[in-house]
Amino acid sequence: MNRVRILLATAGIAVLTGLWFAFISPVDRLQGEFSRILNLHAPFMWVAFLAFGVTAFASIMWLIRRTLRWDRLAVASVELGVVFTATGLFTGMVWGQAVWGRAWDWADPRMASTAVMFFVYIGYLALRRAIPDPEMRAKRSALLGAIAVIQVPLVYFSVNLFRSLHQTQSIRPDGATMPREMLTALLVNFVAITYLYFALLVGRLHLARLEEASAAETARGPDAVTPPRLSEVKDV
Amino acid sequence: MSDLAIVIGTFAISYAVVVGYAGYLHLRRRRAKG
Repeated sequence: MNRVRILLATAGIAVLTGLWFAFISPVDRLQGEFSRILNLHAPFMWVAFLAFGVTAFASIMWLIRRTLRWDRLAVASVELGVVFTATGLFTGMVWGQAVWGRAWDWADPRMASTAVMFFVYIGYLALRRAIPDPEMRAKRSALLGAIAVIQVPLVYFSVNLFRSLHQTQSIRPDGATMPREMLTALLVNFVAITYLYFALLVGRLHLARLEEASAAETARGPDAVTPPRLSEVKDV
Repeated sequence: MSDLAIVIGTFAISYAVVVGYAGYLHLRRRRAKG
């Protein structure tokens, strides 16, 4: 079994452990069963922030070093960030509909800023598809990746800066605003989903190297193909 | 539909998206290997 498979298999075990904790932990008195969505929504959004932070770091490193591996890391992390933001938005909408009576509200700063962040990173992926030259593609996406990360602290602190439907942070320097069992389940899920992100990131980087090797082989293709003999060609 | 069923469905759909992405990477890897 190769390294990627081992990582994904152990990530699967970590996620199942997280699910176990999510469903045995006590529920909130007012929200009931819906409070369990916290164990999915908060870790998914945390991993999205982490992914976009990794992209910014890789983008800055590409601008300094100009080596392809930093570009690979930047795009791999954006893809994962978009997947986790999409699922984070979905879980938030289900939870919002259940406890606030509405799935979406553009007036809410956390929801609006998260949606903008999501579309900016979709734009990052679209930008890469629009530029065929690898050097130019890496340069422009590195600039966008390094600038777009400004949105992450804006999304995170939007609940402190503006009036929001969202509550402020539940885990603070002076302690947590939830019982110990709920906090344990949340932290287990944070660890499991962060590990899942790293496993998928390693798999995505491995794929990028394979695709580059395959593209290089295709580029050398005409030399490798033996031309047919004249006797083998029928319509001459 | 009970609250718990909605919560389980939300977990299932969310992880299905992530597993779907992993499956998409697997197919691309097979194509790249030829």
